[in-house]
Formats: sequence, structure tokens, C-alpha cells
Amino acid sequence: MKLGTVIGRVILSVTVPKLEGARWLIVSPFTREHFQHGSETPPGMSKDPSLVVYDNLGGDLGQTIGYIEGREAAQPFETPPPIDAINAALVDDIFYNPFNK
Amino acid sequence: MLLARVEGNVVATRKHPSFEGWRFVICQPINNAGEPEGVPQIAIDGHGAGMHQRVIISSDGGAARAMVGDSQSPARWFVMGVVDEKEPGVPV
Repeated sequence: MKLGTVIGRVILSVTVPKLEGARWLIVSPFTREHFQHGSETPPGMSKDPSLVVYDNLGGDLGQTIGYIEGREAAQPFETPPPIDAINAALVDDIFYNPFNK
Repeated sequence: MLLARVEGNVVATRKHPSFEGWRFVICQPINNAGEPEGVPQIAIDGHGAGMHQRVIISSDGGAARAMVGDSQSPARWFVMGVVDEKEPGVPV
């Protein structure tokens, strides 16, 4: 799982029948620097490219979510849909304490 | 599998039901010298890995699903073991 900030939503008019009515979020992935801010993440975008994540938890703009990438994203469904990233957690709090040698 | 260091944890009330009762730890992948390398990963932890401990995380989804006991879980990264000693030695 990786963390990211929801920076937008996507709505599809034509889609694979299986995914009709699905919710899609545009997510900007956290970098190491983002973790330092804890739950008060500045809405700034990271340098890493953003991605679209399937959402069935109800994530919204500005929220921090945990998303899972890869084949595992299709696992919660009876018949696997063609998705490769899923929102798995709405993050409440981040306790981060970087290690300094 | 990646060598990583535990640098914190994440709290989430709303999550996939299969993660209920599991701990989410922030794992920063590290290189041979113990320096951070890449973006931190959130892994589920069943071993009680402590802060700043070195661990090995695995991305085996099949094993993660078996671990949480839900064949429909999207679980992927999990803490496979806690590092005791590594050669050549690097101070913890």
C-alpha cells in the first residue's frame, strides 16, 4: 500500500459494463517529504506522476488515502475487473518518525 | 522482498474489512548502507515490528491474503520478518 492525496475525481460515461457507476479518484502519491507533515498534508502535488484509483470507500478531495497497486487491486471482486489500483484505506492519522543515524 | 526500516504507523478507521485488527506500519526501503531509498511503503504487520527496526517486507499478494485470512483481500505488502543481524554489519 502507498499513501497519496486525492486531488480530483474522474467520471466515465462509456466504460466496461462491470465498472459502470464506479468512483474514480485522481491521486498524487506521497513522497518521503510528504510523510513528515503527518495528517496535515499540504495539498501540494508531489513530483511523482499521479494516478487514477478505483474507490469504493468514499474518498474525497483533499483526503489522504492508502491505495494498493497491482493485480491485488482486482482481488475483492467475484470476477476480476480491469483495474490495477484500489483505495484500501481512508487515512485518519500518520505517525512518522524518520530515522537519523 | 525489500529490506526496510520501520519509521512509523498509519491509523485508518475506514478500510477494506480484511484489514480489521491489523497494524499498518510505514516501511522505508533502505540500501546496503542503511540509507533510505525510494518511497515508503505501508505494510501490514503481524510481528509487532518496533520503531526504527529493520524488517523485510514482501509484496506477495497470495501470502498476504492467506495471512489476513480473506481470499478477497487486496492486501499486498506485509512484514515478512524482523532483521536480527545482517552481513556485512551495519549499525541498527
